[in-house]
Amino acid sequence: MSVEQASAVTPLLVLSGVTKRYGAFRALDGVDFDLRPGEVHVLFGENGAGKSTLINVITGNVAFGEGTYSVQGRPAAGLSPQTLRAAGIAAVFQEFSLLPDLTVEENLFLGREMRHGPFVDRTAMRRRSAKLFAELGFDIPVSTLVGSLSRPEQQMVEIAKALMFDAPILILDEPTASLTDTDADRLFAVVARLKARGVGIIYVSHRMREIRLLADRITVLRNGRRIATIAASGVTEAALVEMMAGRPSGELYPAIRHTPAAERLRIENLATPDGLVRTVSLSVHAGEIVGLAGLVGCGKSEIGRAVFGLLPIAAGSITVDGQVVAAPHPRAMLRRGVCYLPADRGTEGLALNRPVRENVTMAALDTSTLGGGGLLRLRAEKGVAARLLERLSVRPPSPEPPVLNLSGGNRQKVMLTRGLVRPTDVFLFDEPTVGIDVGAKAEVYALMRDLTEAGAAVLLVSSDLPEILHLSHRIYVMHQGVIVRELAGAERTEEAILSCFFGSALLQDATTAGEAVA
Amino acid sequence: MSATAERPGRETLRAALRSPILRVIAPIVIMLVGFAIAQPRVVSPGNLLNIAVQASYLTILAAAQILVLLTRGFDLSIGMTVSLVSVVAALAMTAGGHAGPEAVLFGIAAGLGTGAAVGAINGALVSLVGVNPFVVTLGMFNILLALSSIVSGGFPVQGLPAGFLSLFGGTFAGVPVPVAAAVLVVLVVHLILGRTVFGRSLYLIGSSPAAARVAGVRTRLHLWAVYVLCSGLGAFGALLLTARTQSGEPNLGGSLALQTIAAAVIGGTRLQGGEGSALSAVAGALFVTVLSNGMDLVRVDSYIQQVCVGAIILASLVLDRWTAARRS
Repeated sequence: MSVEQASAVTPLLVLSGVTKRYGAFRALDGVDFDLRPGEVHVLFGENGAGKSTLINVITGNVAFGEGTYSVQGRPAAGLSPQTLRAAGIAAVFQEFSLLPDLTVEENLFLGREMRHGPFVDRTAMRRRSAKLFAELGFDIPVSTLVGSLSRPEQQMVEIAKALMFDAPILILDEPTASLTDTDADRLFAVVARLKARGVGIIYVSHRMREIRLLADRITVLRNGRRIATIAASGVTEAALVEMMAGRPSGELYPAIRHTPAAERLRIENLATPDGLVRTVSLSVHAGEIVGLAGLVGCGKSEIGRAVFGLLPIAAGSITVDGQVVAAPHPRAMLRRGVCYLPADRGTEGLALNRPVRENVTMAALDTSTLGGGGLLRLRAEKGVAARLLERLSVRPPSPEPPVLNLSGGNRQKVMLTRGLVRPTDVFLFDEPTVGIDVGAKAEVYALMRDLTEAGAAVLLVSSDLPEILHLSHRIYVMHQGVIVRELAGAERTEEAILSCFFGSALLQDATTAGEAVA
Repeated sequence: MSATAERPGRETLRAALRSPILRVIAPIVIMLVGFAIAQPRVVSPGNLLNIAVQASYLTILAAAQILVLLTRGFDLSIGMTVSLVSVVAALAMTAGGHAGPEAVLFGIAAGLGTGAAVGAINGALVSLVGVNPFVVTLGMFNILLALSSIVSGGFPVQGLPAGFLSLFGGTFAGVPVPVAAAVLVVLVVHLILGRTVFGRSLYLIGSSPAAARVAGVRTRLHLWAVYVLCSGLGAFGALLLTARTQSGEPNLGGSLALQTIAAAVIGGTRLQGGEGSALSAVAGALFVTVLSNGMDLVRVDSYIQQVCVGAIILASLVLDRWTAARRS
């Protein structure tokens, strides 16, 4: 493909005046967009601004009403996703397309195995995938089962799969949402290398760090309209956020009063059978946010799951309001006013093909207001759903369409209504802002502030360091299944947390650090 | 912009066309008209009543099947449950040699009890042990097939009490009992699904088992109970069918499993769980019944009929996959 010669003049793809209606609602409203070879073009906007719809139009997953679309000079409107993929558009979405029970190599070639006559040519595939991994700088053995890889590693495999056949156009939809900074840096190196090869990259992200690092141009979307397409050099974060939100940016992290009162949740010497949590003791009081920080795989997210009865417990005790909970399970914990909000909202948080209303109330069907005596109170349910959608400004605020139709941030808000739908005052947040934009983040933080100041006890498990630092009153840092440090007051600094990430035995021990990252 | 005025109306029409129930009713009417042109007897009052009665058995069994389908499950053993219940109930009724109301009641209790027991075992294996419903109910299919033959000796059980035949096969306020029973079952299932915590849980479990669990839904209990209810309703349908054939039939259930699943899917219930309704049982059962009744009356060869019904079942499954794929 002679992309290099044509690069100076012809854009890889051009959309102009693209409009997509869902009923009266315009998901895209006359949007212009183009992508040049060798550039990173960032799509920036709030949830529901139209980023996903635009990407789905580009990949052929959504048909649009008005406007034109061409790929490498040829009209592309109405082409199927398969045809567009063959035309050179590769996409990596937030939801992975990998099969956990197959090896990395089998996943890379899934459905397009290389052949030697009627037989699958394993040698050729091995050679090809090893070459690709070397080019991309990945050091994952291609014979590993995908299910045994960490999420960052799976992300790498997903990208490699998209790039298998030298696509000139790559779409990355929030590729760093589940990566630590170290892994993200490896991803950025890959992106830079692809750029140098002339690949045009559409990059969806909310994170300023990577936008500043990677972007050549930025297109800001709001309410389905293109607000601006600007060169990335010289644009300030404040200006971007203002364009995205349509109003001057406020402080992202709210100030939260710290008024610790009675101890609500106490964990003593907790261990899980898989060994991810070895001996953990911590406590959370009413009126405070307690942060739980650590690298991916350090065991921090397992703690919330174990407390809520989603993981078996090998040893230790969980105490809620002074009472030991012998065998925790979700229903019993909800009744004690404890609510776990899972990180993986797609599979664990929401029933995607059910109406928004049912998702709002699903954790409160045993309460007398909504489901007393085994019968549903539909009128009360409608009222509760409408009130909570309004309270968290879910858009669109309609209770009847399936959650499937909402954007990531709005899905998250629907899930968070769970904490408000029944009396709840101990919250276990597991990565509450993964993959949602700045606007929705601010709303989630404001909700956490309101809950805490109203006397709730909040345990915040997060890989987002600024989030932990700005919101938590106390911070526990975990390393390999153990809490290595508790930080309070002025000790809560980025340096202090980072130095604990690699264990108390510390940074000079490079092997430990390597393990921790993997 | 100029088109905005007419857009809402067109959208409503499109939404109506997309509604699963209408998508089924239209072809049913078209089929009736088509068959009536070839053979006017198809739309005679007598035959329409006949269609209603025939469809009511399938409606009840499809409603039972739908409950399980909603949870991403299957009940492949429902046809064999019908066979075994038929035989057991008939034997229980005729065992004492006298045909009093006690014998009838005993027979009904034995039949319903057998159904519930089958469902309890299916449910326990699926819900508590965690075995795939397909495998569980396929295994149960074979067990029940053999049991029906063993219990009956392979022959129909004759001589059912007249009281039983009029109770399950007569008319109620001028309406044939099976039709009244089907209306009642659909109403009850409709209310269970729309108005009870149990019904809501079935949708949530089918839509996302993990999310239902995290939300504190009693997934194990409800999953077990739905198999009991499914087989229990199957047993009720079996009693009605037994009254129709006037004997306990070890071969009564033959191809019912596939027919119920077909009716459910044709009516708009999704095999991937979490979407469906009691009304889809009515629509789907009517579709299948009108098709086979019409083909009977225009004298289509019975093997060709089987090919047609089979093809339509497969087509409905293909359609289910297509619409599912288009949405995701």
